[in-house]
Amino acid sequence: MTTTHIPSTETLESFRQEIDQIRDETMAKVGQEDANHIRKIVRIQRAMEMGGRLVMIAGFYHWIWWVVGVVMLGLAKIINNMEIGHNVMHGQYDFMNDPHLNSRDFDWDGICDGESWRRTHNFEHHTYTNIIGKDRDFGYDTMRLSDDVKWKNHYRWQPLRMLILTLMFEWAVAYHELFGERIFVGKRRPEGKLPISHAQLIKDFFAKIRKGVFRDYLFYPAIVGLFLGWPMFGAIVLGNFFANMIRNMWASTIIFCGHFTEDVHTFSEEECENESRGQFYYRQILGSSNLEGSKLLHIMSGHLSRQVEHHLFPDMPSYRYNEVAEKVRNVCRKHNIPYNTGTLWGQYSTVVYRVFKYSKPPKKQDGFANA
Amino acid sequence: MSQSNPRGQSTSTLARTHKWLAQSLTQENQISAYFEPLIQMVAPGWSTDGTRSKVIQVRSETADVYTLVIRPGKSWKGFKAGQHLQISAEQNGTRQTRFFSVSSSPAYFKRTGLIEMSIRVQQDGKVTPWLREAFASGGICLLSEAQGDFTMPSTNKPVLMVAGGSGITPFRSMLNQMAATGDSRPVHLLFYVRDEANALFREEFEAIAAQHSNIKVTYMNGAEVGPFSSEHLKTHCPEFMEHKIMICGPTPMIQLVRDVVSSEGVANDDIMFEYFGAAPIELDRSNVKDSYVSFERGGVSAFSNADKPESLLELAESQGLKPQFGCRIGVCHQCKCTKKSGVVYNTLTGQYSDTGEEEVQLCVTVAVNDVVLDI
Repeated sequence: MTTTHIPSTETLESFRQEIDQIRDETMAKVGQEDANHIRKIVRIQRAMEMGGRLVMIAGFYHWIWWVVGVVMLGLAKIINNMEIGHNVMHGQYDFMNDPHLNSRDFDWDGICDGESWRRTHNFEHHTYTNIIGKDRDFGYDTMRLSDDVKWKNHYRWQPLRMLILTLMFEWAVAYHELFGERIFVGKRRPEGKLPISHAQLIKDFFAKIRKGVFRDYLFYPAIVGLFLGWPMFGAIVLGNFFANMIRNMWASTIIFCGHFTEDVHTFSEEECENESRGQFYYRQILGSSNLEGSKLLHIMSGHLSRQVEHHLFPDMPSYRYNEVAEKVRNVCRKHNIPYNTGTLWGQYSTVVYRVFKYSKPPKKQDGFANA
Repeated sequence: MSQSNPRGQSTSTLARTHKWLAQSLTQENQISAYFEPLIQMVAPGWSTDGTRSKVIQVRSETADVYTLVIRPGKSWKGFKAGQHLQISAEQNGTRQTRFFSVSSSPAYFKRTGLIEMSIRVQQDGKVTPWLREAFASGGICLLSEAQGDFTMPSTNKPVLMVAGGSGITPFRSMLNQMAATGDSRPVHLLFYVRDEANALFREEFEAIAAQHSNIKVTYMNGAEVGPFSSEHLKTHCPEFMEHKIMICGPTPMIQLVRDVVSSEGVANDDIMFEYFGAAPIELDRSNVKDSYVSFERGGVSAFSNADKPESLLELAESQGLKPQFGCRIGVCHQCKCTKKSGVVYNTLTGQYSDTGEEEVQLCVTVAVNDVVLDI
């Protein structure tokens, strides 16, 4: 709700100091261990991707191999996007000075142009987290998740939209910035708000789509089809499609759990004018929610299971988030600031609840209540 | 200067196709980059951008100068006496990169497969003291191909070499090469050292001079004779007008020698020099104003002081940004980024830019008026 209670200036200042101290202490430790971690993850990703593409071909002998290959490739794509892509593109591993793990040049597997994502996500979402009207990641412009968004009749259908968003997540992320500019539908916004022209934006959008489509739906299927016959062309196209689908479903689920859970707060622009650093931290914590689980869950979610910590320290190597989570939680407890965490299914069910809840018109307009 | 050649970019259809294909299949700009992490499992330290090489030995020369003895990997293409190269090694997870001249000769490389780099420990330096310890018992590093045109002139004119301190390294390579190949042109090395204890390679040079009548080496003890002057020039090399003059050493020394020999009438074409470290920021003050540099992606800006200009890279770092960088002396182009608008001055080439969009090297560029950068 926009009527979020804001703690006293003294509380926020003491809170800020302790959060900053956690950051400084942890950043001082960043080095070899973090570099080893991300390199290991990259190696696993490579093995899974190449393995998945190869094993899928063995579906020629028995369909079970096709299934195994699809799952492996899906997992490889998840690791590529989440633990590697998302985190590298945040600059978490820039300290390595490694040209292939550098935030400026890195690009990921998927349909979304990395540059576009850096603009909308790194800047817009991380600066204006959960400010209604500023952070378009909140509901992705298609869902109403708070009474601060005016109810319109089409929001009735938002559970269906959530399903479509889940299945087509990479396309939605790719189109996100263009949607904001109303490039293909609606009245196009004036040029000049973005650092690049609309023409360039559209060009980059299609360039990345061409590369992704070529890879998954032409190149690999054609190579296999050439040797094993055209039915295998179809099998590989289908396999790659399902692998992309696995990635889309998982990535969207994790991301919904990060900001759309039941108790996540939203903010108004007025509330955040002349915001102090402490207040910024406070908003990031109230606007994010965590997931508890195994080491595997943390890695497969790109440590977005530590969404709270990620929003406090977006360029801290993900390897450190588990280590700081306990400390952040204690600081929150000390200052009586809520810290939102839960299991994956627990959190996800509250997301679904929220999506349904706000698909209905606000209670006071009784005339619509049963519509 | 050695860094003036524009970056030759291969834009052949084949190269473009490879790049597109690599981006499509691997999201990297070259296919091999995709396999890099896997190759590193077999060959730690292997990389697409450099030759994996072995440091064999670290040898102390004086209290604060040491020599790395390196066996370059098989694909390394060799070098000309006087050229420098980039060495990279990983320090606590961070790839550190520095440029050094090769101090041994190509003939020695041909015979033994080894090269040497002699390095002075920078006080409070992050890399030079660490390299000595890290490689004390050998190790793996990355070498770039050799580059630079601070090499023996192609004419047979006599050469006067003026070296200061660790600026001796390219000349050590040249003198050894001359000795090995029987190059008979007259060469005179004036080597300025701080004091007797810092007289690098003394025995080696004296042995070369004793065996080759065309090579003359004079040690100039700075504590006794002071810095380079026209008296030194006239005393030790009276027929300097007939010579090519090559200078290598610390920045103030290079400027001093250039000024002295120019005012004695030596033509610019006959003066060659190579800086150790960043070229000095020499600005035409009348053209410079205090200015703001804004870093667009980072959403921050910094004040650039006209009286004490800092490079754009330093300004970016002072604002907490971490642009990719390499050599920090304008050679490796890793810190290249797009300037959206504003006039900048390249301290390496001495060129003022246009106001429009162009690629600049952050580490050797300073702001002339308000500048917007795409970082």
